[in-house]
Order: sequence, then structure tokens, then C-alpha cells
Amino acid sequence: MTFKHSKDTYVSIDDVDISAFTDSSEIGRKIDTSDVTTYGKASHVYSTGLMDGTGKISGTYDDSEAGPRATLTELLAAGEAVTFIRRPEGTGAGLPQDSVSVFVTSYTETNAVADMIKWSVDLQFSGDVDTTAQAG
Amino acid sequence: MNLANVMDEIAGRLSTIEGLRVFAWPVGTLTPPGAVVGYPADGQYDETYGRGADSMTIPVVIVVGRVSERASRDLLAAYVDGSGARSIKTVLETGTYTTFDTIRVQWPDFDVYTVAGTDYLSVVFDVSVFGKGSS
Repeated sequence: MTFKHSKDTYVSIDDVDISAFTDSSEIGRKIDTSDVTTYGKASHVYSTGLMDGTGKISGTYDDSEAGPRATLTELLAAGEAVTFIRRPEGTGAGLPQDSVSVFVTSYTETNAVADMIKWSVDLQFSGDVDTTAQAG
Repeated sequence: MNLANVMDEIAGRLSTIEGLRVFAWPVGTLTPPGAVVGYPADGQYDETYGRGADSMTIPVVIVVGRVSERASRDLLAAYVDGSGARSIKTVLETGTYTTFDTIRVQWPDFDVYTVAGTDYLSVVFDVSVFGKGSS
């Protein structure tokens, strides 16, 4: 078991590789819980339900045709589910990968006067996350 | 970004300022008014994933005349000015570059630069550049 650095992380959305414009990404997965506690219990008892998940990607603005603004604002406006792929250890046979259908639910640009233009998007997962490792 | 190419491009742009002797690397001696492009004070690999972007901060030293001369102050003021034909900030930030994507000139530190035993009035600009990491 070894530690892994984030610098080789790969992210693509709707088949567009936006890794070179990205400096942070995260995915969050959770499962619904229902309280099924009955009389006579000293502690809450829960039952699990459906899985759910969200993602967030952010980085540095680029004005190219395949840059984050052009790619992500189009997806936000389209309102259609697209494939989000994240490879936390980079690209390579056998390395982990998460693939899931997502909706782009927000796109934010931040222009601080003393910094590069930054961007971020929020993603809402729709359906199961495929965690199959990358093929050779 | 290739460091030598970045320093050359910055020096090349500074050379468009009339009367300023420009060196693209630290030299042992110079005759004021002169500009020296130094080695990065700091930088950062991996500004984005997959070797997408790097950054570095390049010091640019501007040396004018003797500290005690009024003409030195006036000349230095033109280089520090936020606009004008001799404005280091304006000249560098309006340039066109191929070795990096963006450039920003920050407010300089004032200093004394000693050449051959003589103290000259000088300023050091921090010039931040941001460019491609692996291309």
C-alpha cells in the first residue's frame, strides 16, 4: 500500500478531457437512511435506502475551444445527463476509475483581481457509479 | 515552460523600452540604466492535473543612476509608473508571448544595487508567469 499524489488525476466530462485545466476535484457518495427505531430501544436504529452522489470540479480558466468555460457552460445549458469519468491515480491499466452519469448543476467563474481566473462546477450523479478499474 | 525561453522573452519585451540596456540573465556588471532578468524566486509545478500548467515568479531588476541624484528618482518613477512608454508593468503586460500564457507585474521593492563599489538606485519587480506544464 502506498500513498498517491493528486497531480496525475484525470477528469473528463462528456468525453472532453479537462484535466489540464483542473486543480481540484471531489466526489461524494452517500446512502439514504430511514429511522426504524421502535419502542423499547435505547438507541436509534436505521435502515439504508438508495445511493446518491455529487461531484465538484474546479481549476484555472482557459479560453480554448475545449476549455472549461466552453465545455461546461454548454453542458449546463443543455441540461442533459453526460458521462463523468474520474481516475484518481491517473490513466493506466488496472488503476481505479469512477464513471457515472451526471448533470452539471452549476458553473461558477471567479475573477479575483490578483489571481488567475478560476472556475468550478457542481455535478449531480444520476444512477449508479461504475467503479470498474481501467482496462489494459 | 522552458526557463531560458521565458527569461529571453521577458528581456526581449523590456528591450523595446528606449534607452534601457537589458540582460536576459544575471550579469556581473552593467551600466545604468539597465535591466536584469533574474532566476525565479519561486514557482510551482502541477498547477493543474496531468502536467497541464506550471507557474514561476521571475525577478526583474531595474538599475538607474546614483542614489543621491534627482535624475535617478525621476527615471525610476517612469519605470515604476503604472502606465507610459517606460512603465515596466505596461510594457510587459501588453506584450505577446509564446512560451507562457499570462504575465503579471507586481509592485516592486526598492533597493540599492552596488556595481563596482558604486551604489545605484534600483527596484525589483516580481513578474509572475503562468503557462503550459508539458508542452
